[in-house]
Amino acid sequence: MNRALALTTLAACLAAGQPAFGQDAYVVGLSGALTGPAAATYAPVIEAMRAYIDHVNGKGGVNGKPIRLIVTDNQGEPSRAAADAKKLLGDKVLILLNSSLSSTYAPMIAESKRAGVPLFYAGAVCPKETYPPADPLQFCSTAFGAQYDSQFAMGFVKEVSKETPRVGFAAMAIPISRGEIDYAEGLAKQMGMTPVDKQIIPPPTPDYTPFATRLKDANPNWVYSWAPWVTQVRTFEALRRLGWKGDFIAYAHIQAEEELERIKDPGLYVFGTNAFFQDDLPVHAEIRAATHRAKLNYPITQLTEGFIAGMVLEAALRGTSWPPTPQKVLASMNNLKVDTKGLRGGPIEWTKDNHFRTRQYYRVYRWDLTKNAAVRVKDWTALDVR
Amino acid sequence: MQLAVNIVVLASIYALIACGYVLIYRTSRVLNLAHGELMMVTAYLLLTTASLFSGHPVTAVAAAALLGLVVGVAVYVVLMRKMTGERVLAAVLATVALGILLRGVVVLVWSAQQQYPAQALGWTNVALPLPGGAQVSAAAAALVLTTAVVYAGLFAFLRFTRWGIRMRAAGQNPLLAAQRGIRLHAVFALAWGLATFTGGLAGMLIALDSGLEQTMVVIGLKAFPAALVGGLDSLVGALAGALVVAAAEVLLIHYVNPLLADVVPFLVLIAMLMIRPWGLFGTREELDRV
Repeated sequence: MNRALALTTLAACLAAGQPAFGQDAYVVGLSGALTGPAAATYAPVIEAMRAYIDHVNGKGGVNGKPIRLIVTDNQGEPSRAAADAKKLLGDKVLILLNSSLSSTYAPMIAESKRAGVPLFYAGAVCPKETYPPADPLQFCSTAFGAQYDSQFAMGFVKEVSKETPRVGFAAMAIPISRGEIDYAEGLAKQMGMTPVDKQIIPPPTPDYTPFATRLKDANPNWVYSWAPWVTQVRTFEALRRLGWKGDFIAYAHIQAEEELERIKDPGLYVFGTNAFFQDDLPVHAEIRAATHRAKLNYPITQLTEGFIAGMVLEAALRGTSWPPTPQKVLASMNNLKVDTKGLRGGPIEWTKDNHFRTRQYYRVYRWDLTKNAAVRVKDWTALDVR
Repeated sequence: MQLAVNIVVLASIYALIACGYVLIYRTSRVLNLAHGELMMVTAYLLLTTASLFSGHPVTAVAAAALLGLVVGVAVYVVLMRKMTGERVLAAVLATVALGILLRGVVVLVWSAQQQYPAQALGWTNVALPLPGGAQVSAAAAALVLTTAVVYAGLFAFLRFTRWGIRMRAAGQNPLLAAQRGIRLHAVFALAWGLATFTGGLAGMLIALDSGLEQTMVVIGLKAFPAALVGGLDSLVGALAGALVVAAAEVLLIHYVNPLLADVVPFLVLIAMLMIRPWGLFGTREELDRV
């Protein structure tokens, strides 16, 4: 009798075009670069988010219901992201998540708008549409944010330089990185600094030395790079191998903490919005435990970003009463405040007009040879997001 | 001087990768579009051998290169051998499928994160001063040296050894070679093994220089125009093609626009296809056959 009832229920679910799990869980769908050239940046975020959700489900889920995260691999390709979004919306997800290159955004935005389902950038660079006045359907928890990052970085360079900074710039040949470096170059001029050269480096480059050679020949005393970590660090190392002695400032992507330790160069400054594991906060112990249970094979230092995305997702769903709909989730996301427990300088707050955060907090780190450790050069500094 | 050094290093990278395309093509007429992935797999194997031979970089590199050779032979025996007698296009598509499979395997086995084999080996990639104020990293210098040794070794192998002569014979006229008792499958398997071995050397040395992650696949593809410019059935051509492409790339980066780096190999290739479609040292007959 029970079996017949279960089969009838399953048939009813299928007939309604809804997966059976939709009845008992908050279903969210992610399209991300789990493999492909960009996987080093995004796969750890996705895996950490998955571990966080398992951790939440292990504690009883949200509002008494588990979260079900469906993950698809778009390899950083727009065509795959489009197919993923269609598939996920077919699975009746409440939120679409993107953890991939900015080139995958357009097809997912189109599908999100068509279905009226919110699109949440988790570990993927925040597009301007999430800044005030925000697009109604796009949200972002990712640490780095175009323009604000360069405003902070250029301000820091000016603040610590004893002479007028002669700044070289390095970007990856992708729209988001190029646009930011162009912006930073203009900003540097406005702030009285001297831009001396700008290198736009293609993503698959076998040897960074030719780019570094030209940069070095321009004789900068600072180089600023805002690009995926691989471009930043390989440009820096190529410059050092050419004998360049200046200072280099780069965005602190998820790899930054362990990379500072590998490189051990006090001239490499990294700025970012996530606290390093050296802080050893209680929440870091939580991350350690959750990732240990999930048996992730990424360094623990790379998992903060995914954990934060998981915290935001949990908060958004916690504010969504049962039975959930995308509209209810959207209402919750438009009025969200997440305590990051010290992982960021302050809470992540979303309002109807601001789907990025109301304040962006930065820290700067570099390697200290005498302490043989990464040290904070500048503590949390807030920029208002308007 | 630094520009000349940059050209030589980049040309060595392209030449070392391109000789793998040439070895397989001139022997079996197959374009191996999984060459970049096979190169990447061998570079990742270095991570495994590095943990076994920590503190002995040469042993670890040699062990990984030999494993690469075995992987190349295995690919032929398990997959490409089955394509014998099929249309060339089918064999090429099989290599595309193989590439996709290998990319997935790499993520599953070694994860997607950036890796540093030099760190695993406890080896420091120091900068070496050169005359004229130029600098070169130790890994890049090793790469240039390795390319010279590999090409000298291949020329000697193909010219003077029994298996090398068999390989040339199989490439020139497989039917006649088979009738003379040459075991074609063994020759093709050896070509795949050697191609993966040389590509793997390039992959490992690039990884020792600047780290390892999945973009290495694209670097493998960037060397393909060098092979085509030189002539797909000529090892001398691969060397010359690599030098032409690398020189154009480095000089345009320095004097015109760094953004051109991505398209230069293909611009040179298009120019070559318009002037001399069979490449600098390629055989015209081969082009007709393709």
